Parts: sequence; C-alpha cells; structure tokens
Amino acid sequence: MSQPSASHVALNRRNFMTGTVSAAAAVPLLGSPAKTQEVTQSRARLREPVVTTLRINKQRHELSLDPRTSLLDALRDHAGLTGTKKGCDHGQCGACTVLVDGKRVLSCLSFAVMNDGKEVTTIEGLASSDGKLHPMQQAFIDHDAFQCGYCTPGQIMSAIGCVNEGHAESENDIREYMSGNICRCAAYPNIVAAVLQARGETRGA
Amino acid sequence: MDAAAPRPKENQGEPLPRVDARLKVTGQAHYPADLPAASIAYGALATSSIARGKVTKLRLDDARAVPGVLDIVTYGDMDKIDKPKFGNSSATSIGPLHDRTIFHDGQIIALAVAETFEAAEEAAQLIRAEYEEDKPTASFDSPGTKTVAAAGKSPMFKEDVKAGDFDAAFAAAAVKIDQRYSTPTQHHNPIELFSTTAYWQGDQLVVHEPSQNVTGWKVELARQLKMDPANVRIVSPFIGGAFGSKGPMTPRTAIVAVAAKRLGRPVRCVTSRMQAFGTQTYRAETRHRIRIGAGKDGRITAFAHEGWEVTSRPDLYVVGGTSATGRMYGYGSVLTHVSLVQADRNTPGYMRSPPETPYVYALENAMDEMAVALGMDPVEFRRINEPKTEPIGKKPFSSRSLIQCYDQAAEAFGWARRDPKIGAMRDGEWLIGMGCATAIYPTAVAPCAARVRLTVDGDVRLQCGSHEIGTGVRTVAGQMASERLGVAIDKISVEMGDSSLPPAPVSGGSISTASVCSAVLKACDAIRTKLFAAATAEGGPLAGSHNEEFDLADGKIVAKSGASAKVENVLKAMQVGAIEEYAEFAPKGATPEALKKLYAGTPEFHGGEQDEDSVKYAFGAEFVEVRINRYTREIRVPRIVGAFAAGRIMNTRTARSQLMGGMIWGIGQALHEATEVDRRYARYVNRDLQDYLVPVNADIKDLQVILVPEIDHAVNPAGVKGLGELGNVGTAAAVASAVFHATGKRIRDLPIRIEQLLV
Repeated sequence: MSQPSASHVALNRRNFMTGTVSAAAAVPLLGSPAKTQEVTQSRARLREPVVTTLRINKQRHELSLDPRTSLLDALRDHAGLTGTKKGCDHGQCGACTVLVDGKRVLSCLSFAVMNDGKEVTTIEGLASSDGKLHPMQQAFIDHDAFQCGYCTPGQIMSAIGCVNEGHAESENDIREYMSGNICRCAAYPNIVAAVLQARGETRGA
Repeated sequence: MDAAAPRPKENQGEPLPRVDARLKVTGQAHYPADLPAASIAYGALATSSIARGKVTKLRLDDARAVPGVLDIVTYGDMDKIDKPKFGNSSATSIGPLHDRTIFHDGQIIALAVAETFEAAEEAAQLIRAEYEEDKPTASFDSPGTKTVAAAGKSPMFKEDVKAGDFDAAFAAAAVKIDQRYSTPTQHHNPIELFSTTAYWQGDQLVVHEPSQNVTGWKVELARQLKMDPANVRIVSPFIGGAFGSKGPMTPRTAIVAVAAKRLGRPVRCVTSRMQAFGTQTYRAETRHRIRIGAGKDGRITAFAHEGWEVTSRPDLYVVGGTSATGRMYGYGSVLTHVSLVQADRNTPGYMRSPPETPYVYALENAMDEMAVALGMDPVEFRRINEPKTEPIGKKPFSSRSLIQCYDQAAEAFGWARRDPKIGAMRDGEWLIGMGCATAIYPTAVAPCAARVRLTVDGDVRLQCGSHEIGTGVRTVAGQMASERLGVAIDKISVEMGDSSLPPAPVSGGSISTASVCSAVLKACDAIRTKLFAAATAEGGPLAGSHNEEFDLADGKIVAKSGASAKVENVLKAMQVGAIEEYAEFAPKGATPEALKKLYAGTPEFHGGEQDEDSVKYAFGAEFVEVRINRYTREIRVPRIVGAFAAGRIMNTRTARSQLMGGMIWGIGQALHEATEVDRRYARYVNRDLQDYLVPVNADIKDLQVILVPEIDHAVNPAGVKGLGELGNVGTAAAVASAVFHATGKRIRDLPIRIEQLLV
C-alpha cells in the first residue's frame, strides 16, 4: 500500500500551487518520459525566484523570492522583521495581521508577490523614531492586554485596523471585530479595554 | 483604578507593568524561531498517515528531486544516538526514527531539509511511505485497549487515596448519587508554533526552542546525543504560550540537531499547526464515576471517585487527580481508584492543571447534583462540608480560605438574587442559569538557583534559568529584587530562558513564582548581609550601630533609628564595583540530593500533600451566569466572577491576568474545546484552529477576579502559592451547574454543546 506520507493531505497554499499546476499538466500525459520532463520543467519554472518590491514601514525592500513565499514569510525570513508572528499559517489565528495600504490583512494568506509595490505596516513600524509608542501599543501595556505576548503584534495591528474601519464604536463591536485574533492566554477583557482607551487617538493617526 | 491593575490588599504586591511589556508591544520580544542564525536551512516534517503498524518502505526520490533540497533525515540516520526516555524532560519514549514501528497517527517518519521553507515543505509532502498496517485502537471502548492500575506508575501518583469504610457509609447514607462524567481530548494550542532551531559551534550544540524546562532539556538532549551536558545549550528567552505543552521535549529536537550536524549549518524546523496535534502532547480524555452519600443534614459520609484515562502503548502517563478531590471536603470516608487505558495514540502530557481540571470538574459537577438531591443551596452545601483537617492523612491545611472566597465571590456576583427554581430566571428569549464551583490547586515548590549582582551605579542584574511563558515571572522576580535591594524596577534587568543561567525547575505545577522568588530572596538577602556588615564595620559609614535593624530603600541603607548611608558609598568603602551573590534555594524537607537533582534537570517537588506538617493548597470559588436561547439553545457566558486566595500575591496585575486567563480556559473547556478522534483510524480530525474551538474575544464579556488576602508562611520563604493553574479548575463545573439551573438538564460529558440541550 502506498499513500501520501503525511497526515497533512489537506490542501494548503503550497501543495495547491504545485499540485494543481502539475496535475493539470500531468494527467493526460502519464507514461511519456518526454512529457514528464516537460512537467518537471514547468514546475521548476514555478519555483524560479521573482523579484518583488515591498514598501515595509516606509522603507523599500527589493526581495528575490520563491513565488510561493507568503507575505508573512517574506517579512520574517527575508526582510528580517520577526515581529509579525506565525501562529497557524492558515488564516485562522490572526497572529500574522499586518496593514497593507492601511487595511488589516492576514499576511500568511497573501503571497508576497501579490503585494508588489504596496505599503506594508508591521508592528516594528508603529512607534515613532524617537521611541514614542503608538497609542495602541501604550494602551496594551496600560491594560496588560497580553501575557505571553506572541499574538500581541497581530492584536495591535488588528486593533488599529478595527478602529480605522469604524468597528470600535462599542465594546460589543470591539469584541466581535477583534475575534479573528485568538489570544490563547485569554487577555480578551484587557484587549477590549486597551482598544477603548486608544481608539480616539488612533483614528486617523 | 484600572481593572487590570487591582489595588493591592494585605500581603499583595504592586501592580507594576510587566518589565518586558515594551518589547512585547513593539515586536522586539524574540521568541525562539525569531532568533537570527546565519545561513539557515529550513526543515519540514513528514509524518505517518497510519496509527499502528510498520513503515516497510520510504520513497524519497521525488522529495530529493525538489530544487533546493539539502538532506532528508530518516530511518538509520539516528542509530548512533539514544532514544528519548519518557519523563518530565521527555514527552515520550518513542524514538520515531529509531525503528520503523508506528505507535500513533502523525508520528515523524522523516525530516526534509532545504534552502527555503517552501522547498522543504514541498519535499516533505512528496515523501511517500509504504506501510504494513494494523487496525489501531483509538480510545475508550475501542477493541484492543489494555487497562492497568495507575497507582505507582508515576512518581507523581503513588497511591489511590482512601479513608474509612466507604462501602458501609455509602450503603447507610440517607441521600446519595452515583454518576458518570467525562472530559475529552484537548490540545494546548499555544499560538506560538512548536519549533526547533539547532546549530553547532565545534562540539557545542545550541538549540533555540520554546521550552518550559531548559535545564531538563539540556540534560536529556545531551543524554540522547551522548554528549556532555556542558556542551548543550537551550535558549528560550520568550515563550509564546506553553500551558504544559513545552514542558517535556519531543523527539523532534534531537532530529533537528542531527540534521544541523550533518549539514554543518543551522537548521530550523517550525512544526505546522496540524502536525503539532500528533507530535506534541495533549490532555488525555478521562472518564469518572463518582458516588457521594450524605445525611439529610448535608454532611457527606461517603465519597468515591474512580477515574479512567487514555494513554499511549509505550508510555504510562498518569493524570491522576484523586489526590486533590479526595482531600477537598470533610468526607467521612473516601475510596478512589485510577486506571490507565492504553491505546494507539501519541503519549498525553501535562496541560494546565493537568490532574485537577478533569477530576475536579467531575467532583464539582457531582457536588452540584448532590446539593440538588439534598434540596440545599450549593454554597451552603460546601460550607457544611468544610473540613478542619484533610480526610486522608488528617493533616491540617497550611491555610485554607475557601469559605472567604465563596463569600466574597457570591456577594460580588449577586448570588442572593438567584431564584433556585429550575428555569425560573428569564430575560426575553434567554433562559438564565447561575452556578458555582470550587477551584483547588496544590501549592508546590522546588529547588532553584539565582544570581543577583548589585553594581556601584545601582544597577541590578538578575539571572535565573526559569521561563517567561506569559506568567510574568520575569516581572515578579524583578519585583522581589527591587523590594529587597531598594532599587527601582527600571534599574533591574532580568535574564531568563537559557540553560547557561543558574538552573531553575520546570515552569510547571505553578511552582515558578514561589521557587524563583525564594531563590532571588536568598541571593538578595546575602547581598544585604554583606552591605550591612560593611556599613557597620569599623570605618564604615554606619560604624558602631551593630544592633540596629536595617533596610534598603532608594539606594540607601536605612537604619531604624533614621541614620542612613548610600549603598554606592558602602561599595566604594569596600573597594568593589559590584556585589554578586549566587544563591541556591532548597525547600523545607528537601533531601540531601535535592540540589544535585536541580542541576541534573530532575528537581524535587515539595508541598501539596507530601509534607509532614500540613497539606498545602490554594483555593478559589467561581460563579458563572449562563444565558441559553430558548429556541436555538445557543449558550453564552455573559458573566463570571472568581475569588481566589493564594498566599502572598507578588503583583496584583500579573496575578489577576493569569487567573482571568484560567477562568476563560475554563469556559473554553466547558463549551468549546475537544479534539475529535476518528475511531476508525485513531486519528485526530479537527487539527487546526478553525475546527479546534477555543474562546475568542466575543465569547467573553463581564469577568471579575477577586484576590482574597491570605498569609501563609508555611508554604515557602516567599509565602507565595502558585495561581497560574488555579483559575481553570472548577470553572467547567460551575458552567454545568448554571446550565442545569437554566434548563434542568444535567450535562456530564464535556464540552457542553447546543446539541446536548436540544434533546
């Protein structure tokens, strides 16, 4: 008996991309060595690095990336900005939330190449150059809105996005619109208090 | 005052903000997978798709053909190293690449290493295994389980506690219940993914990995790799949530270390969320039978608690919570028995309040049933059964403030407004229910070492190999030094999470604050002694005042008489630039081997029910309001109040946050969390955060934590009882009690879901 090795046979971004392309090309061509070579070559082309320009925290980064690289992995492994965290790589936890052109985005669900030329803001880009914290960062400290701190960059970026979307008008709104960011330490009531404190100063900031 | 920073009451420390708060809100707190390493290669695991059998063949050609693939570590490549040894430092005895036997679904079969993460993942997914497959046993009731008695199978669970003649007392009881309860498999799911980064510097190995036990891992990893532990370093400066999952090391660590050695390059392997379900530990599913007999006056005369727990084939992990449930109330007689049920599963492990969460849930749900059977208020029922001594060994409690907790929480909650009639309280289409339960957690402490240096500039450097898993241990250790040395907290740097620091015990069992603060206290007091001696010595600034009492405040030695001298001047007079003290703390009752065992990564735990003089526990009482929609049966928890007494509170802010997080964990346990097991394949089904439900922000509304003052000098020099695991004990039973109050339905199997209320 032979079967896929992993229990991770579920579709994910990466095997979807290699899988669909090779499957589409391979299915009618099975058994032909020449055609197999063609498939391998098309797969190889898919992996050829693509030069992508990202503006991250107002700085231009020109990165040569495997096209399958997520925006999250580009930030962490290629731009050296590890403040943005990987918690699930499936868009289910919110830890990787960044702002792209001002709107909150799950950076694990976005290929880096899709963000070419766009303005990306990460947790490292919030404090001003003199070290003054963004009001949302300060509010998270004031209200102890974290424990381990791992989901915190995503929570803060999401909170800023949430305020700017107009979804922080009431406590219930904040709870609802911050529910895409899981905090396993469960600092939720403190997160709500922090967003309430910082929402005024955050609007338009 | 801000809710996050409760005003300290008696024996409670200031709610200082966390010393690492700024790092955490700016993205500068570096978790192990964030730490830089030059020219890193990426690893990805391939795991088994069967739960029982043998790997007959691995086909690696497709994986090797992926551009950028550097190596594949698999069977045969680990032969020169030793298999893991199951225990507190190692999650399992399974050496997944040591032989081709598959013990559970999702077992590691290979590690693919490549130039990029993308190539490593692609290669891992192209590894094909052929198996000789046997039909696996999934869990309770599956054909092929093996049941063994738990007592004596773990050093943490020596016996089935008992007292008096249960059978006779139960037979004679006027009111009795005999019920069964169950709790599901749960996975910790900290938001930080599990990862290992390993690199070699000559014959020295450095591992960056989130760990609750850097000293234990150093020793165990060195044993597996047949190295001198002095040549192994585990680095884990910040840990992105742990909850027990990062207490024992898993086999992945040694595999990545071997890969790094073969390549001569750093290798990082970040386990996917999905793979973590099978390659890490989990909370075992449990079953319980509880019998309680009482007189019509509500006094319990007979209590029996039988438990069954799932474990793996190779390792006998014991949950074993009867030690606490058997001592909870003043039962007349006690009978307990715990059984382990072996199946084809990965080995379970510690998860936040490992024994108490499932066992106290069953007890407290049963207590509520018993109160109903007696027609008594559940708080009064507990008050009547409040013991003077614990029923097993007849020892006193070092302190026990349970009734104070009930009284304060009941008042804050408004328990007096509860109409005890089932279904009597409504608000439009919502049925309202109110319930309560007791929280208990044993107070333990372990040996610990710390190094503290006070410089002539008034800076303090504190080093201790404990672990900042989010508890705030860095902050409270700094606070202890700040208090004892009279130095502002911002002048103190606290280093933790590195096995090259003075050893600390595993950050588990809620022992860290007590153990670390006791060691820091000892080091600081040694510095004080030196300073006071120098100040009062002949020619010193306070010469002649030998019989005075001194303290340190604001950089000065202050005598009770009012005389003072700058610490800076005392150090100058001593002609030193700094005083540094290395302190080793050993708890009362420690064996002569205790400190040696600390360095060996196998620290002794003291306290709980083990001490001769008294039993030591922290207590709490939790009250919840549930609202259940009349039509849809949607269950909400709009309000929860918990009151807890845990000796000295070092910092009311971090203490409240931990208890709050625990209570929300309890709500998750009651209503959300369960890993579903496909019984045909012994495979976890909902292996991600979309389908493994945990509480989110919208699930939590009004939450109140009350810190009840308590003084207990018997527990440890710091007077601290741990509280990181107290908050999620009992919560699920309080929810079940409230659900019964609202609907008349007694749910005994967790989690409580809408479908259970529809039938």
